[in-house]
Amino acid sequence: MKPQESCLLEVRDLHLRIEDRWLARDLSFSLSKGEFIGIIGSSGSGKTTLLRAINGETKAESGSIKIGAESKLPVGMIHQDLELAEGSTALNNALSGSLLRHAWTDTLFGFPKEEKEKAIELLETLGLSRKVNQWTSTLSRGERQRLAIARTLLAEPLILLADEPVASLDSDWAIKTLDLLNDFAKQKQAGVICSLHDPKQVEEFADKVIRIDSTNPEQWKVEELS
Amino acid sequence: MKNDTKNIPWHSRFDLPSITFILFLLLALGSLPALEGSGRDLDYLGNFLRFLDQFFPPDWSILGQTMEGLWETIQIAAISTLLASFISLFLSLAAARTISPAWLVIITRMILNMIRTIPSLLWAILAVVLVGSNSLAGVIALSFYSVGYLAKFFSEAFESADLKAQKALQSLGANRWQAFQYGLWPNLKPVIWSHCLWMLEYNVRSASIIGYVGAGGIGLHLKLYAESADSWNKFSLVLICMLVIVTLLDLTGEKVRKSIRAKLEGNKVL
Repeated sequence: MKPQESCLLEVRDLHLRIEDRWLARDLSFSLSKGEFIGIIGSSGSGKTTLLRAINGETKAESGSIKIGAESKLPVGMIHQDLELAEGSTALNNALSGSLLRHAWTDTLFGFPKEEKEKAIELLETLGLSRKVNQWTSTLSRGERQRLAIARTLLAEPLILLADEPVASLDSDWAIKTLDLLNDFAKQKQAGVICSLHDPKQVEEFADKVIRIDSTNPEQWKVEELS
Repeated sequence: MKNDTKNIPWHSRFDLPSITFILFLLLALGSLPALEGSGRDLDYLGNFLRFLDQFFPPDWSILGQTMEGLWETIQIAAISTLLASFISLFLSLAAARTISPAWLVIITRMILNMIRTIPSLLWAILAVVLVGSNSLAGVIALSFYSVGYLAKFFSEAFESADLKAQKALQSLGANRWQAFQYGLWPNLKPVIWSHCLWMLEYNVRSASIIGYVGAGGIGLHLKLYAESADSWNKFSLVLICMLVIVTLLDLTGEKVRKSIRAKLEGNKVL
């Protein structure tokens, strides 16, 4: 079947396992432009493994992950352990998301002005305006999580994978951040797949939900949410 | 229970630290003849007090030329630390197990070990033979000597660096150089700078003595005063000046390193 034009990602008959433990069997779903998919499941159910498989970091046992109908699309992932450069300033960490748009010679001595302005604006939106020149290692866990989100958003991926991006945020910032991810999907016509723990957040923000349960790998469900 | 205790072999109580401690004690006891000295009946305390008397008061009239000598010492230390840092950055890549193939790591580490084996004073003698008696000899000597240490420290920093940020940037589309510059280097930079500062302090101390063999700096002044009669008060002034400079440098370096450590550990210290 030829994927539709609006389809960014198609996962078919995916089998995932970690060592001897099956996480999912025959998992199939698709992600369209502007769509926000929530993944929900208990700890260790395979949410991270699924996202890592889509990002190409883990190999699936079998099945296919097709990114883009014709050409490969840019994928960006917000990792659970953030993976920030601790000795770098918050601004440079955020800006490093934009590296793919520049030749190495253009960023050898810093970033272009327009990228800096864009990054500062986004950091302001994420409540980090006073922290831009601070070393990342000195930020709190919540601030670092928002910084990792800023870095990935500045990469402007067409498929954004977010592994529990609001786990360390208080409820206000969690809602603001999920709003931001949702807006990003709608405005840039990108697709977002986001693992979450709170079913209320999934209901509020997701267009579709994937429920996975590693105790019953065949019983995954993909539901459209109104 | 009683039988169990009896079955424990007697030698099991000796672990590596205790065995090496016993060996050290035996070696030290066996080295007692070194305390014999010349064997002549000398008035050690009287000699020491006479010597001390000649040290004080220091001769402040030579302060100007002493400061000039110290300035040259600092210049030798600074330029050799800078040169060694650049060379060490490249050598450390070759010596890091996580970056280079095993054969290159082994060869580079062997060379670095050889460099470290030769003391700075011997490097200075070799450099004086090569370029004559001047400060350039000091720069060459200390650069070689420092490379042996800095390249080892830098390679250890590369090996223990967290590669996650670098990989994350590559997965976001950055090329290898960009991922290194913005993902790995920011984490390494403070550690490497901390090592460079330590080397600078060390080189100021070393540069003070290599002048003894003609490699420039304050060491030459020390040699002249030590060899001429009635100049111990001049010698003591040079020592006092060196003590002040080295202490100031040590305190500053330690403060900067402490701040770097604190920031890397996540504390807001300036």
